Amino acid sequence: MLPFEPSVVTVISLSAPIILVVIGETITEKSGVINLSIEGTLLITALTAFAVSVTTGSPFLGFLCAGLVGSIAALVIILCDTKLGMDQIAVGFILTIFLGKLSSFLGKEYVRIPGPYFQQLSIPILKDIPYIGPSFFDQNILVIFSFLMIPLTWYFIEKTRLGLIVKAVGENPVSAENRGINPEKVRIIATMIGGIIIGFGGAAFSLHAKFGWSENHTGNYGWICLAIVIFGGWNPIRAAIGAYSFGVFQIIALKMQSVALGLTQVLPLIPFPLMILTLIFIQRFNRSDRTTSLPKILNAFFGGQSPENIGKPLEKN
Amino acid sequence: MSNLNLKNISIFIIQVFLASLGASLIIILLGASPYEVISSIFHGAFGRPEKIVKTMLIFLPISLAALALIITFSGGLWNIGIEGQIVLGAIGASWVAKSFLGESALSPYIQLFVGVSMGSAWGLLCGLLKVKFNVHEIFGGLGLYFVGSGAIIYLILGPWSKEGIASTSGTDIFPQESWFPTLTSLNIPALPILIICLIIISIILFLSFSKLGLKLKATGINPGSTNKFQFSSSGYIYLAFMIGGAIAGLAGVFQASVFYHKLVPSISGGYGFLAILVVLASGKRVIPTLLLTLFFSAMISGGSQLQLRLNLHSSLISIILSSIVFFWLVVNSTPIKKNITNLLERGRNASF
Repeated sequence: MLPFEPSVVTVISLSAPIILVVIGETITEKSGVINLSIEGTLLITALTAFAVSVTTGSPFLGFLCAGLVGSIAALVIILCDTKLGMDQIAVGFILTIFLGKLSSFLGKEYVRIPGPYFQQLSIPILKDIPYIGPSFFDQNILVIFSFLMIPLTWYFIEKTRLGLIVKAVGENPVSAENRGINPEKVRIIATMIGGIIIGFGGAAFSLHAKFGWSENHTGNYGWICLAIVIFGGWNPIRAAIGAYSFGVFQIIALKMQSVALGLTQVLPLIPFPLMILTLIFIQRFNRSDRTTSLPKILNAFFGGQSPENIGKPLEKN
Repeated sequence: MSNLNLKNISIFIIQVFLASLGASLIIILLGASPYEVISSIFHGAFGRPEKIVKTMLIFLPISLAALALIITFSGGLWNIGIEGQIVLGAIGASWVAKSFLGESALSPYIQLFVGVSMGSAWGLLCGLLKVKFNVHEIFGGLGLYFVGSGAIIYLILGPWSKEGIASTSGTDIFPQESWFPTLTSLNIPALPILIICLIIISIILFLSFSKLGLKLKATGINPGSTNKFQFSSSGYIYLAFMIGGAIAGLAGVFQASVFYHKLVPSISGGYGFLAILVVLASGKRVIPTLLLTLFFSAMISGGSQLQLRLNLHSSLISIILSSIVFFWLVVNSTPIKKNITNLLERGRNASF
């Protein structure tokens, strides 16, 4: 077994991309839109970030460009939905394949070459706090950004007016419209912001957690992130717990590589059956949430609620 | 009436033109020539008899997966788990081939039975999760797919590993008796082709003449039916998933025992996902689906030539296919179709 501290540092560090993607998708889905393209978007944004940072020497610029590409992918989905009345899921699925293969096609020259890093950002005083310090404040800016996004997103969704508007559109666009909100505009903006953050997640893969580029570099992580969003019950904090738990699985798989052959390939797939069980759980708790005898705190944790109007097109008058 | 048909045909031609234009633009943007790419692909797909057989071997699983999806899509179900059902079918076939039955002449037929049942069960499980536990079929299906992939990797590296050394390149080749019998020196897979023909006829009969099928089709014709939270009765969901899973399982059996003659980690070859693209574009109709599948299979089979002849990465094929489907859906969206119709009307009025 590893000592506690280095393991936590590694989990927090390795989970940075997943945290960002999960937060981006949570914001998107809160507005009632499903961005199914994550698997493809991650690949193309990871490539963008790495290629730009290799070419310009600036990982920061690569990071920003990945956000831009992520938002363009999201924009395609939401415009096809709101302007052309196309199915969000269908467009997201097509983009998954298109962008994924595009990354293989365009990425040939960047396979396994070195590139510039984000420097370690040791925040003076804070990094010396026992346990917490090295985990959170002796990391690079990407990692620090990723875990700062968790409370910020939670605050945005739950406590700000804008966040409430996004939630209202996801729950009931018609009544939101009656209150003078333009649901189409809200969905476009929320999906694009979500896309930017998902793009940052892609960048966090190629510039940090799985440094560099190879074909199918972020393979399957996109689907895993979609699963974790549901595991998180559309709540950024619960989603983050899901993402970090997945990080723990990965570390265990890595450590056990020498012990059990084959486990390394099988363990990363564990979130999927886990996701199914969680969905069953959520459903059970929601059905009986008024009569349940379970402690409130458990209910609060498992009782995630899907936005009422998720995946449905807006009704136009 | 003939006027109306003429109008529909004109709209169709304009749509095909616009969608091809969109896909060609993508090819040009990626630095290749659409003409060279397409001619190279078709040379690779149909240039020689062996190539036609190879194209056929790719056509088999994709067409089966697409037919399976017609059934599930008709019920408004997003069966993304189709890859998992293919995987389970392949596991079922391999199970038989690796067992004592593998060396009996009955092996292919037992494989069919076991593979189809396992694919069907995997589909049914997805339906059960949806009906009993309200787990949306996209996530249930994906979850079950990854469970299936995990099982394949476990089996290949564990119980069914190659003699001597476990490797992700797959299991040992199945005994000859477990291969499906083929015709002539070209190894034409006669039995699978026969089975597919029977399935096509059954599906057409089922959708056009049976009471159950008509009910199914009625849901399918409803434009809102692909909206993912569409209501369907639970018995109907089970039935659609069971039939779909069975046909997908058959695709898995063919992948293992007709194409590879062994179990490999990526046994489904992404064909389930490609079939989703096919069915999205073909609008769930059987004949257009088959024609489009033939086109897709030719592209994939001929795509191996791209690297050799034009030095282009083979991923270009999926890029082209997905962009064709994307642009096709765009030109079929209500506002764009309306614009094309209006344009045609105006053109005709102007000419008189």
